[in-house]
Amino acid sequence: MTSTAPSAPFWRRPWFTSSLVTVVSALLCLLLLPARIPGFELLGVSPHWVLIWVVAWSVKRTLWEGAIAGLVMGLLQDSMTANHPTHSLGLIVVAVLTAKLQKQRYIQEDLISVALIVFAMAVVAETVLALQITLDQLFNAQSLYPMVPKIWFYHQRVALSSAILSSVWAPALYYPMNRLWQVTLAKP
Amino acid sequence: MFALGRWWTQYGFKATLATLAIAVALWSRSTHGAFFYEAYHWLTRPLQPGMSREQRFENSYILELQQRLVELESQNRALQASAGYQPILPSKSLRATVIGRAADHWWQHIILNRGSQDGVKPGYVVTGLGGLVGRVVEVSPQTSRVLLVSDLTSRIGARISRSRVMGVVRGQSNHQLVMEFFDKLPDVKPGDVVTTSAYSRLFPENIPLGRVESMTSNQGTAPEATIQLSAPLPILEWVIIQPFQPLPSIDLPEVAQPGVDGSSRPQQP
Repeated sequence: MTSTAPSAPFWRRPWFTSSLVTVVSALLCLLLLPARIPGFELLGVSPHWVLIWVVAWSVKRTLWEGAIAGLVMGLLQDSMTANHPTHSLGLIVVAVLTAKLQKQRYIQEDLISVALIVFAMAVVAETVLALQITLDQLFNAQSLYPMVPKIWFYHQRVALSSAILSSVWAPALYYPMNRLWQVTLAKP
Repeated sequence: MFALGRWWTQYGFKATLATLAIAVALWSRSTHGAFFYEAYHWLTRPLQPGMSREQRFENSYILELQQRLVELESQNRALQASAGYQPILPSKSLRATVIGRAADHWWQHIILNRGSQDGVKPGYVVTGLGGLVGRVVEVSPQTSRVLLVSDLTSRIGARISRSRVMGVVRGQSNHQLVMEFFDKLPDVKPGDVVTTSAYSRLFPENIPLGRVESMTSNQGTAPEATIQLSAPLPILEWVIIQPFQPLPSIDLPEVAQPGVDGSSRPQQP
């Protein structure tokens, strides 16, 4: 792979470091989900850490890599809440859209643009969840959800606070992850 | 065959990794995230609040009250036996600390630091200072996940204490509940106390929920009341877990009302 690879022990090789960064950061994001740290909250909503992770992952990767990361992180978040409505759908959409954005080179890649992408994607993710809940309410006779206007009223509140908070915290997560991935993967 | 081989040399490693990641995610899903909650419990252990001096005083006061209550309950039991009532014995309850909240923005959950190792089972009822908090929906060895009464999907059979009017209480993801009544003109006034009713299958009877704040009766069919929760759900730190077996059906003393708790008409024995 690289010139240093054959002689270096495995824990100093780029693939190991970058996988470690990936796994540890993903774990950290998942473990931050149930925490409500003072100052991180807005209207009872905390930053969507998993979404920030998925965007940071997908910004410089292909569509398929993004989609699989979205699926995996969504399933993991489902396991921490409930299987329905599933979070994977929203996160797959987010990952695919982010990967597409990068390809078209409309947006320069820096911290501000990442914050903007996260802002938009947080709204997308919450909307996909709200759509699933609406479909359940409309087509499932035994649905426990309230009437559709109430769902969307709640969606508005959640999407806005989630988008603001997540975009504020996105650079804090994106910057170290991106640096570590870059350092380990871009070595000659 | 050659194409497949070439695909494998190009993408095989990535495909293996992706399969592995998906398998881990599915495994976690089948265990309801037990691994993450155990790890979360372990990590936040130094941050979990211990008992302060004030709480210890409060505790001993509560203990005193409980002892008086035991005395009163034994008297009450004798009276109820003569009146032909079904006595409800207090069962062993468990104190727990709130260590986390819902892992997304739609569910209203709290995470407690007691799990199946402490004997907690799904279906147990959780109360806090002030009244009903929710019920346990999932347990891992050292944590349990509680669905709060304020969740959008939560429905509880409830009763107005003063006038014995029955209804269904629904969560709204905030500090208020909405109560729907079966009567067209229920006898409800702002300030009335709301408790769980005998229709509720998932909760025991007579646990306080909150107070009626206002009534909206202009909706034509069913009047609704807004209820202020008495338990401070957003700032809860301690709760009490009470063993409870959710009832498959209940015997009703009067005419059954369909639709409570999403169930059909309860059966008479």
